[in-house]
Amino acid sequence: MSEQIIPAQGLPAAPLGRWVAWVTQRSTLVAGLAIAGLILFIGFVAPFLYPPDPFAIHPDHALQAPSWAFPLGTDELGRDELALLLSGGFATLVVALPAAAVAFVVGIAYGLTAGLGPAWADRVMMRLLDAILALPSLVILIFFASLVTLNNTSLILLLGLISWPGLARLVRNETRAQRGRDFVLAAEQLGGGRFYIARMHLVRVMAPVLVVNGTFMIGDSIFALSALSFLGLGVQPPQVSWGSLLESALDIIALDPWWLILPPGLLVFGALLAASLTGQGLLQRWGNGR
Amino acid sequence: MIRMITTRLASSSLSIVILVTLVFVMAHLTPGGPAYSILGMKATASSVAQLNARLGLDAPLWKQYAIWWWHLLHGQLGYSYLLNRPVGQLLWQYERNTLVFYISAIVISTALSIGLGLLQGVYYGRWPAKLIGALQLGFYALPPFFVAAMLVLWFAVQLPLFPASGITDLRAVHPSIGSYIAHLALPVTTITLLTVASLSRYFGEAVREELGKDYVRTAMAKGVRFPSILFGHVLRNALRPLVTMIGLSFPYIFTGGVIVESVFNYPGLGWLMWRSALSQDYPVLIAIVLIIGLLTVLGNLLADLVNGLLDPRASYE
Repeated sequence: MSEQIIPAQGLPAAPLGRWVAWVTQRSTLVAGLAIAGLILFIGFVAPFLYPPDPFAIHPDHALQAPSWAFPLGTDELGRDELALLLSGGFATLVVALPAAAVAFVVGIAYGLTAGLGPAWADRVMMRLLDAILALPSLVILIFFASLVTLNNTSLILLLGLISWPGLARLVRNETRAQRGRDFVLAAEQLGGGRFYIARMHLVRVMAPVLVVNGTFMIGDSIFALSALSFLGLGVQPPQVSWGSLLESALDIIALDPWWLILPPGLLVFGALLAASLTGQGLLQRWGNGR
Repeated sequence: MIRMITTRLASSSLSIVILVTLVFVMAHLTPGGPAYSILGMKATASSVAQLNARLGLDAPLWKQYAIWWWHLLHGQLGYSYLLNRPVGQLLWQYERNTLVFYISAIVISTALSIGLGLLQGVYYGRWPAKLIGALQLGFYALPPFFVAAMLVLWFAVQLPLFPASGITDLRAVHPSIGSYIAHLALPVTTITLLTVASLSRYFGEAVREELGKDYVRTAMAKGVRFPSILFGHVLRNALRPLVTMIGLSFPYIFTGGVIVESVFNYPGLGWLMWRSALSQDYPVLIAIVLIIGLLTVLGNLLADLVNGLLDPRASYE
């Protein structure tokens, strides 16, 4: 999913006007960024603009379809669904985004270490990677989530420490490929240490690959967290998340509560679409050469 | 060929041994443990100790680990704490259901992907290909739980066409084959919709690439009719990457499968894994991890073998 191979070319240095020009030429990228902005707004700004308490119970108004009083209806306890969705958006993003950042950093560090280290270390590290990649990450997540009850911090760490192997392999292969190139050899001859070369040269050369894959990783992280919460193993009550809201709506699906199923599903879909479109848009820009 | 298979098997088994070791150590290092899941949180310390002794959980970790392998080599995967049945027996029962489910989904999505991919390759740059491309991007981003929930809402609740859960009609003594198919309809549709998005995109790219090659131009110049070029040459060559992709997509299908099986209460491997995770049934969990690892490796190997049959050049690489 996140192992898209694109040639490493380095980021173009462009004045603002040219950036604006090429952004508008790329409808995929623009659509992706627009949806991403909307999702971020819903998660981080909208909760402050919509005052009703998500956890206030209105037993007289339980399981009502959307109305003026409750714009997205109420759940089976009579809680305001819109307020729940906004609170769930915050809970989802506040875990998924840092988790993606953790995975991003760990993946790059692991890949660079394996790629620059001695051959035996590379072999051991890649073997470990193969073992982890032999399992779908959701399986590993379910396994760990069953061992311990998770709070938000441990969820971030768990998600982050599981989602890095794909990126690590990519960075490692890219490092191996770049390592023998003249500019790296020259830097070595001039006395540049490994850490200096990794930081100053390799990371910069790989920047487009890293940005594209980082974008896909954000989508993967939101998906993994929502799936885990949907299975009852992710974000724990009393907190709600988009995944757990959908799960609790499914328990009463026989009553046809479409207003409890469509919005959380659409929000997760929107978040994944944003990541996928942005990544694809960047890939179109950098992948097909300039 | 045979050398390739043995090397691949050897390196994959090493991966799986590492994996199982990691999982085993993790499962046994955590506090609490299954005794509390079985006896409840209010269990007394002495009853927990007694149960741990009975389950062999009081032995040192290396000993438990050695015993686990010893039993595995004798074909025993242990007993499920909760269902109180041999794990091997459980796995066989659930895996059968899962295989029926996945294989139907894979067959249908492969057929659909070939059709869509051919259209996309032939009409590259024109509206049919662009439409298919946009749909692929959209469907690719659809989370399986959302698709499954919407299908239940539309086709089981609002229009009661299909059953919403289970594997067969519970009231029937001898359920008909039609009942099985009706129960499979919605889960298989969910997985198919999600798999087709990526498979058809991949196949479409392959078709487009093949159509641009010299042999196609030569055949056109010689006056061979387009359909016979497309189905005689291009299809066969483009199938190779598709086969690899199907082999590699097993982990993703399983990811969707866990969620879909949990939505539809379909008693498959994913459902079993989910239930065992919620109740900390480690012998079952560890065995499932082993099975999934094996299936992933076998999927990759099988894809390589089929590729060797489709294109003899592949086996010499």
